[in-house]
Amino acid sequence: MTTLLPTLEGATEDDLAEALHGCARGDRAGLQLLYDRLAPKMTGVALRMLRRRDLADEVVHDTFLRIWDKADSFDAARGRPTSWAFAILRNTALNVLRGEGRMELVGDFEAIEPASEEADAETLVMALSEASALRRCLDRLEPARRRAILLAYMRGLTHGELAGRLGVPLGTAKAWIRRSLLTLRECMT
Amino acid sequence: MSADERDRLASEYVLGLLDAEEMRRCEERLARDAGLAVQVELWRARLAELDATAAPVTPDPALWPRIEAALAVPAPKAARPTPARPSRLATWWESLSLWRGYGLAASAALVLLAIGTAQLARQAAQAPVLVAVLLSDQNQPAAVVNAFRDGRTELLALSALKAPEGKSLQVWTLWDRERGPVSVGLLEAMRNVELSVEGLPRPAAAQLYEVTLEPAGGSPTGRPTGPILMKGNASPTETGI
Repeated sequence: MTTLLPTLEGATEDDLAEALHGCARGDRAGLQLLYDRLAPKMTGVALRMLRRRDLADEVVHDTFLRIWDKADSFDAARGRPTSWAFAILRNTALNVLRGEGRMELVGDFEAIEPASEEADAETLVMALSEASALRRCLDRLEPARRRAILLAYMRGLTHGELAGRLGVPLGTAKAWIRRSLLTLRECMT
Repeated sequence: MSADERDRLASEYVLGLLDAEEMRRCEERLARDAGLAVQVELWRARLAELDATAAPVTPDPALWPRIEAALAVPAPKAARPTPARPSRLATWWESLSLWRGYGLAASAALVLLAIGTAQLARQAAQAPVLVAVLLSDQNQPAAVVNAFRDGRTELLALSALKAPEGKSLQVWTLWDRERGPVSVGLLEAMRNVELSVEGLPRPAAAQLYEVTLEPAGGSPTGRPTGPILMKGNASPTETGI
């Protein structure tokens, strides 16, 4: 499995782990290194989830403050620095999606376009490396179910929202996703 | 919780499928269930490649200075108990600095343009000390707010936006997160208008102005409730405050 994100050229996971230890000691240079390496990709991920640049920026802002505050809880034995940092980013973005700001996200200017979402989901698969196990395993899923998994991850949709987007009852959506995730796990283990 | 249930919860948590309440419960459980934590890590690793496919976006140059400024805590980090940092996303008006950074570069030229226009219009008359260009969601200039030395503040419409039937356009300003946004005008359609700023402090740099869509007659709560149609922060002019 690919372990380094493309933005990390020149910095290994070890460098990032060292930077996190620096943050835990109060060394701002550590946070700046993480920011320089991770912020562009994080902004891209947050923008994909929230679709609003101002909110994406704010999520990245809050993410780095959380990284700074929580750096001493990073445990290299339990996960990679990028995985740890992106988990914070995703949770921060999900909190916005699930929080009070919700209404603002779908204002007058944000018409949801299901067609473009489908295209997004397919583009996302194509963007995965040919050699990727994830891609190979996603390819085993029926297109509609693959789309459900990808939309959930990429856009932070809940079961209920997915059901609406896919035009199936909630129970059906949950069962599809449950089975798809099981297939993925078995395929990737 | 069986191994399968644990795996399912982990996968749905990492995928982002849980609603707010389910997320909270899962995070509580994560703190005491090492098996669940391991499954969560495995799912994160499985799906991490999807994040790598996002197109990188150059962060706003103002973002890092903001982050760095927010780190400026007086006590040494090791000695201070971890404070519960209130999320600035909790309520939008708490995030004054969000708007400050937003579109700053893009609007700098517009600010200069607006200052030029405003000064031309007034010629020898009094020039504004602060100008805010309000940008639409599409980053298009939609209105200008001019604030004058005596505190008088005017809104100049650059768009012919009209409120739909049963709605009003409400103008707000925010200078203090504690106080929250304050209504300074209510319109049916965008037009040049003097804003009602009596009794408010003199406007200051970076003060936020925005227009939201509200029920006819204005927001029933005294706070913005509808979508933001345009917004911008005040910049000092050459005349100075």
